[in-house]
Parts: sequence; C-alpha cells; structure tokens
Amino acid sequence: MSGNKMPSIGIPRALLYYRYGTLWEHFLEALGVPAVLSPESSRGILETGIRLAPDESCLSLKMFMGHVEALIGRCERIFIPRYSNFGYTELFCPRYEGLYDQARNIFLSSGQRFITCNIDAQHGSPEPRAFEQFGAELGFSARESLNAWQEASEVLHRQRKEKERAQRELAGRPGLKVLVAGHDYTLSDPYLGKPILDYLEAAGVIFLRTDALEPETSRKACARFSPTCRWIVSEEVVGGVQLWKDQLDGIILVSAFPCGPDSMTNELLIRRTKGVPVLTLMLDAQSGTAGLETRLESFLDIIRFQKGETV
Amino acid sequence: MKQQRNVALPRYGEYNCALKYVVEQGFEATCVLPPPLSRRTEDLGARNSPDLVCTPFKTTLGSMIEALENGADTIIMVPGACRLNYFGELQEQILRDLGYTFDFINLSLYNTGKAVDMLQALKVLNPRCNMVRAARALYEAVRMVEYLDDTTSLYYQNCGFDPTGSYPKVYRKFISDMYAAQSPAEIREGYRNANRSFADIKLHKPRDPIRIGIIGDYYTVMDPFSNLEIEQKLADMGVEVHRIMNLTNDMLRNREKNKQAIIREFSEYSMGASSTADIWQALTFAGQAFDGLVQVKSAFCIPETDIMPVLANLSRDCKIPVLYLTYDSQTSDVGLMTRLEAFYDMLEMRKKVVP
Repeated sequence: MSGNKMPSIGIPRALLYYRYGTLWEHFLEALGVPAVLSPESSRGILETGIRLAPDESCLSLKMFMGHVEALIGRCERIFIPRYSNFGYTELFCPRYEGLYDQARNIFLSSGQRFITCNIDAQHGSPEPRAFEQFGAELGFSARESLNAWQEASEVLHRQRKEKERAQRELAGRPGLKVLVAGHDYTLSDPYLGKPILDYLEAAGVIFLRTDALEPETSRKACARFSPTCRWIVSEEVVGGVQLWKDQLDGIILVSAFPCGPDSMTNELLIRRTKGVPVLTLMLDAQSGTAGLETRLESFLDIIRFQKGETV
Repeated sequence: MKQQRNVALPRYGEYNCALKYVVEQGFEATCVLPPPLSRRTEDLGARNSPDLVCTPFKTTLGSMIEALENGADTIIMVPGACRLNYFGELQEQILRDLGYTFDFINLSLYNTGKAVDMLQALKVLNPRCNMVRAARALYEAVRMVEYLDDTTSLYYQNCGFDPTGSYPKVYRKFISDMYAAQSPAEIREGYRNANRSFADIKLHKPRDPIRIGIIGDYYTVMDPFSNLEIEQKLADMGVEVHRIMNLTNDMLRNREKNKQAIIREFSEYSMGASSTADIWQALTFAGQAFDGLVQVKSAFCIPETDIMPVLANLSRDCKIPVLYLTYDSQTSDVGLMTRLEAFYDMLEMRKKVVP
C-alpha cells in the first residue's frame, strides 16, 4: 500500500466480535493494518450504550453501542460489520443487518468515519466478495484481500475445530454436567455471561457451551429438530441442545433481554425437549449478581437431588 | 375421496377476502374466515405465546385458534424476512400442544427464493385442482388486493372531510362486496361502485389540510385492529391520512433497488424487513411537505426499532415531526387518543408558524 499514513481500524468488542473477531483481526493483520480494540465490557460501557441506543433494543445492541462510543476519536475508522446472510438458509438476526446504518445514524454528529464489510449473499455479496470490497476500501488489491481473508478464515476454522474437540472431550468426563446454551456474545462477554460461567466453575460443575461447536455440526443437528430455524447463531443453541441432551443433567438457557430469535427458539426448545431440567436466565441491565446466583444455586441443588447426590 | 378442505389464514386487515377468492375460485376448497380480531383473539394469543415475542405473533396465533374453533382443518402461514419466517413452526407446535388436530401449511419451508416452490406447496389444498385455474384466480386476487388498497387509501384520505357521514357506509359495502365476489366481473363491479359513490359525495376539504403519513411494520400498520384504528382516529380529527405501506405498493409496484439508492444518505444497506420501504416512505412524505409522520410498530419489532435513529436524523434534516408509537397487547384506546390529540395540536400550531 502506498502512502505512509496507515488507517487504523477500531473494532468494537461486542456482538459478532466474539464469533468472527479472530477472522477480522487476522485479516487486518495480514494486510498490515493496525487495529484497536475497545476495552472489555463493563458497567460503564453498558450504561453509555443504554443512553445511546433506542430504548426497546436488546441488551447486546446497547452494549455494542457503548463499545462504539468508547472507540470514537481513538481510531481513523470504526469497523461495523453488516452480516445479513450466507444464502437463503443461513441467515442472521435482522439486528446485524441494520447494525452499520444504525451506528452511523446514532453517531452522526460525532464526525467519526465508519467502515463495513457487507456480507449479503442473497444480494450478490457473498463472504469472499465482501472481504474483497472491505480490502478495496482500505486500498488493497483484490488478490491481497482474498489472500488475507483465506489466511484468516483458516485460523478461525482451526480455532473452532480445536474448541469443538475440547468440548467433546469435556462431554466424555464423568460428573454433574450442564449445558450453557446461549449466543456466544452473551456467554463470552465479561460483564454479561462470565459471572454465570464463573459461578458454575466455582460450584465444581462440568459445563458445556453451545457456542463452542463448529457451525456445520450444529446446523445439521438443528435442521432435523427445527427445519425453519435459519438464524446461524440460534442454530447453534438449538443444535447444541439436541446434540448433547442425552448426556446432560440440566440445561441453562441464557438470553439477553429481549432477544428476538431467542424469544421463539427457546420456547420451542422448552416445548420439544422432554426429560431434562431447563433453567431460563434472562439477562437485563440489572447490576449485581445476587439474584443470578440464587437461581443458579437452587437449580444445581435440584439437579443434584434428581441425580441422587446428597445436597 | 377426501372431503373438501376448510382452509384458513389468520386475519390480516381485510386481505383475507383475496385469500378466500383464491381458495374458493382457484383451488375449489372452502375458506374459513376467522372472526374479526377482538380482545378475545388477543387474550387467546397472548396467553399461549412466549412473553417477549412481537405482538403480531400473539394476534395471529389467537386468530388461528379462533379459525380452528370455526371449523378450519388446514391453516396456512406465510414466510417473511424477519422473525415472521419462524412464526409458523412455533405456532404449529403451540396449537398441537393445545390439542388441536389440523394440517399446517408452513410456507417458510418453501422459502427458497423461487416462487414455483410456493405454488407447489399450495397444491396440497386440492391435489386434483387445475393449476391454470389456480393461477388465474391468483391473478384476479392480486387485482382484488390492488382495488382494496386503492379504495382504502382513498377512504382514509377523504373520510375526515365528509359532512354527510356516508363515507364509512360506502367503504363497508365495498369490503363486504369483496368478500362476496365470485368472479372478476363482481370484483370490478364492487370497485367501480365504491369509486362512483365516493365521487358523488361532496367533501368539505380546506385548501391546505393537515396531512400525516403513516409508516410502520408490516402487520401492525396494515391491520386496523392491531393499530387501534389509528387511521380512522386521525381522520376523525380532520386529517388527511396517507399510508403508502400496503401489499400493493410494497410487493406489486415498487422496486427495492431504487428505494435503497434514494435513501442512501440515511441508510446505505437494507436494515431488514420493512426498514428500507419505511425510510423511503418517510422521505417521500417529507419531500411532499407533509405535516407529520407516525411510526406504528409492535413491541419488540427488531427492524422498526433499528430505524428509530435513522428516523430521528431524517426528522431533523427534513424538518418533519415524527410520533413514535409502540403497540403491545395491553395498549388501550385512551392513552393513544391523548398522544394523537397532542400531536395533532402541535402540528396545527406549527402549521400557523411554519409556512
């Protein structure tokens, strides 16, 4: 690339970052573009997001807008991906479709520049082409961008394979086992999902995560169970439950208020999954984890009791 | 031979008349009309639905239950670009859990981007039907939808200025004609009669009336019960009410590509489902110097919530006031009336100051 001033790209550490962050970071790294990450999620970031986003949005979107705010003025352009679909059967929640334009409109007065990667196979922009365009915006040739994308995809693929392998190994271990079913950006978020995982860890329970599966594995499991569920992220939750339900002592459904896809898929899961106790945890903007712990504790007590372990 | 099927689609504004026509004239099956939406429909739906799902899910579920009570044995559910695509599968499960026996045609399963697949799915209605006849009925039903939308939009633009009070009578007569129509001639006849009667009524319209544009999500904005008859309420205050969002304009006449290009400044890409159409309509209304906009959306509607920041910028740039309304199954008339009256008063005062 010509010129000595490299554009630095800011990446908000929220929503699809937890899913495709590796891909984006490696893509930019391969091209030699410096990237800045927003700080880890915190109460402060969420509160900023709540102030900025429309009231009726989901908690995850509010968190996302807080992360964008944290990057304003700290980089040349902020990267807001637009993931719409990989085809007619692989969709994303409409929220990601509007993410780029929504952020652009919310932060219009800040003068901040944004950049997107528009993945919309139904309208002539499949993933490779989207990254080619993204690279072109940054001043790279199609070949350079595609190579970088391929390299980054391989890294992501390897990482996912490794994650799934580790999960399968975990699933084989004896002991009290629960499945934490939720979107990756809810479970992996240090402010939202981490307290739940920490609690389970401390309680000495083996917990599996639906977001650690390879997309193909969960898609297949989901297609048999719920054929019209076509949101990639929800397929993981539904597919993960199907894959493991026979080896589990309990399922914890974690959802961010008021998640659109979850409101329906979780209902279907509860109606169609018999024989395994299910706990639904709805995360909202409340601070403090005492309520959460009470519910987790009593749930664990119940499944221990059911299994015959003394409490 | 199996008996004729009794087919139903949940209530959706007055569009059920077109479905009735296709099912009866095209597929030679019986169409069961669910009763008009009511408090009971909504209660039935809300009681059996998950809490956080959007209101149209609850309303359509309630309507399905009422259709089954009315003797339907086959229910059709449409696909969509948002959560709507998943409505069918979950609603079928809920109805089965409630113990109903029925066939369910979930068109989401055939949502492959090819229209032929959908027609194939509908063949189940009557395997021995003549596909040419079905296609012709479909074409005629599309005309019916066009007539219905044209008449409806004419009605709400003018009924607030009718001193004789016979506008609603003509409109109701037209609707019942459409439900009763059995041939293309009858459809045309009903449409012409309504138009003629409307033309005969002398209106008392001021030279520059207050004009309000209505936008919103696919279901709530087109279904008068779901939006608590907002159009009628505004018209009764003496407002010329315009709504571009209807099936005719959104599916049969306009082309999405051009819309996205026009609204590029506000939204570069589609923000999902009805968003592009909505922003484009808002911009169109603003360009025609409308006095105000009302956004009608159901609670938890994702695309409509997402475009709120866009509308806020559009409102500021184009200097057009926007009233944001969210409907859930608890909304009562009174709160809505207060907000509409306040909005109307504001627009009326503003009209005197801003030329």
